[in-house]
Amino acid sequence: MSVDAASRPVGVDIQESEQNRAVIEAIEATNADATVNHMPGMVRVTAPGRLVVSREAVEERLGREWETHEFQLAIISYFGHIKEWDDDEIVIAWDH
Amino acid sequence: MTTDTGIDTGIDTGIDTGFNKVIERPEIRSIGAYDFPSRSAQELYGDDQLVHVWYDGNPWFVAAACFRAPKAMSFGDFWAALLVPYHEEDPDWLASWTPADFEWGLDDAPWTPDEGASLASLGVGHKSVIRMVKK
Amino acid sequence: MTLTPDKPKAKARKLSMKERYSALTRDLDWDPSYVPADEMFPYTTFEGIKIHDWSKWEDPFRLTVDAYTKYQAEKDRRLYAVLDGFAQSQGHLSLTDASYLNAMKLFLQGVSPLEYQAHRNFAYLSRHLNGPGPRFASLCQSLDEIRHAQTEIHTLSNYNKYYSGFHSYLHMHDRVWYLSVPKSFFDDALSAGPFEFLIAIGFSFEYLLTNLLFVPFMSGASFNGDLPTMTFGFSAQSDESRHMTLGLEAIKFLLEQDPDNVPIVQHWIDKWFWRGYRVTALVAQMLDYMLPRKVMSWKEAFELYFEQQMLGGLFQDLAYYGIKPPRDVGKAIQEKEHLSHQAYWILYQFSHAAAFTTSVPSDETLDWLEEQYPDTFPTYRALWDKEKKNVANGGRHFVRGLPQLCQVCQIPMGFTEADSPFTICQRSVVFEGERYNFCSDGCQNIFEHEPVKFRQAWLPVHQIYQGNCGGADLGDVMQWYGMQPGDGGEYLGSPDHQNWLRWHAQADHSELGED
Repeated sequence: MSVDAASRPVGVDIQESEQNRAVIEAIEATNADATVNHMPGMVRVTAPGRLVVSREAVEERLGREWETHEFQLAIISYFGHIKEWDDDEIVIAWDH
Repeated sequence: MTTDTGIDTGIDTGIDTGFNKVIERPEIRSIGAYDFPSRSAQELYGDDQLVHVWYDGNPWFVAAACFRAPKAMSFGDFWAALLVPYHEEDPDWLASWTPADFEWGLDDAPWTPDEGASLASLGVGHKSVIRMVKK
Repeated sequence: MTLTPDKPKAKARKLSMKERYSALTRDLDWDPSYVPADEMFPYTTFEGIKIHDWSKWEDPFRLTVDAYTKYQAEKDRRLYAVLDGFAQSQGHLSLTDASYLNAMKLFLQGVSPLEYQAHRNFAYLSRHLNGPGPRFASLCQSLDEIRHAQTEIHTLSNYNKYYSGFHSYLHMHDRVWYLSVPKSFFDDALSAGPFEFLIAIGFSFEYLLTNLLFVPFMSGASFNGDLPTMTFGFSAQSDESRHMTLGLEAIKFLLEQDPDNVPIVQHWIDKWFWRGYRVTALVAQMLDYMLPRKVMSWKEAFELYFEQQMLGGLFQDLAYYGIKPPRDVGKAIQEKEHLSHQAYWILYQFSHAAAFTTSVPSDETLDWLEEQYPDTFPTYRALWDKEKKNVANGGRHFVRGLPQLCQVCQIPMGFTEADSPFTICQRSVVFEGERYNFCSDGCQNIFEHEPVKFRQAWLPVHQIYQGNCGGADLGDVMQWYGMQPGDGGEYLGSPDHQNWLRWHAQADHSELGED
């Protein structure tokens, strides 16, 4: 029995900070199925199959321009596969 | 055993664990000739050898001991000079104990050490494992 | 002069990330014409790995030099602001206890030197891989790794002003018995070919085991008042997500390039999972025993970071290529109930020869451990009860001699059988006339594939007996190790413990209220 790529959880660990709160809120808003867990110093966001970080959603909440590269200052770890990382979005999902 | 993810995590790793198994030299993939000696070879210890003593069933000692001992040392001397001073640190060790209070094994086989015989003549080799279990 | 502002000019169209990345990598690459390609890249064939098209290597991060330096500089600025604040405010006094720093001593002695070695080998990969994409990713990782080594040393150097065991960590890393465990692990990878190194460090270490290794240290720091360590940890981990990606891309790339690569990669996964897992024994005991304020048990961490994320997620993905979970994973799962207890029991009885201290766990800790490990801990607790009695009678359990070591992982052989979990596991084989001893099927299997490599292992116990470590008695060896009085042994009554009590008594002025 294996679980297909669309439902196996993927996730990302983000440092808990004032700035990253907007990023986490944006991820929650973009991914309806996302679950947020608070751990010491960090926040873990997981979702079944796919997790999207959208530049637009982050900028809306931050009230300023935000490059997707900036996500590197927030991320601690992830599980899944980084399928896409371009100017507009970061997508974490399994391939198979 | 199967996890809830459906992955088989059985513990049978399919390896031959025969304690005295002799293995052949496998093919070596390298950028040049690759043949270097052991850094623990018996020759590096002169007339001595390394001997492991495993007090099985006594978790006070987290691992077997490793001693350097002359091949010609008698088992009785080995007991008195190395084995007892090491193990008597256990508060449950009794000063009255002798080798006869234990069952013995050597390299995974039952073994009856004669106190007067040398380690070498008793079959103890370099990096052998002597196992002792309290009767 | 006019006060009318300039009309905003239409923004020059910037290149997209994809275009910039392509300009940096693909467009700056060339095919050699003066020498054949295999002379320019001489190390990418001998391992038997077949690569047909290097351009298929994806790097989703699409980093360029400007973006890399900009964000790395920002990470360092944030870290050094924290370090300054902590040092200026005597932050070390707000740790939960001085004994917490034993975890950090182990980290500085055992892990930071590995970061430097990783820096060296990724620099080598950034020269010797044929593809420009992986070369640039390796270059970034090489720079990351030296940043990690430097920031860790800077961060922990503040503690060296006040506590023992932080000095001489590089000297110790090359000599001390328990540090031969991480050192020989990494030396094994450094002396392998570039693809094995990528699977060993890039994939198995950075992807499979990184969370188990680093997140517990950082969460432990966060829970125990160690703000600087938490900050450098998270700062380093933010690079780690790129390293994980490099490791995952490497394995997928190798598997997709040729079906003949699959069995080679499978063996490397089997080998390096077990090699890395054995090193995590140090983390397991740190989580369960060394942290005064607990974060999570080793068992919980293993279930979360390894069983759920790796077995439940990653290996289902890799099954597509015909890759199976590591062959000894079942043993690791069985051991999750035992590993930390066995590892700490080793360190406890040999800490007279270490640069950290240990102590009998408090009753609170013993109760917590029993809650976490109801099936197995009662057996280990009986040992602590015996030791408490021993201590009350004026004893302290330090082994009067040297332990048997595993030829592969180099850990004292305190691990046990899967089907008889309180019986020591003893394995051995004979190769070219010499017997070699192992702690587990996993280590035996690794040896059987590379006996000529592993027979060269520099086993601390064997070297001491050859007279190569300063002399015959413990004092000589300790001096050769670079250790100073107070570095190791029992925590209670140690210089760190006495200083801690003194500093906190000084800070306590409640007696002034009495008069």
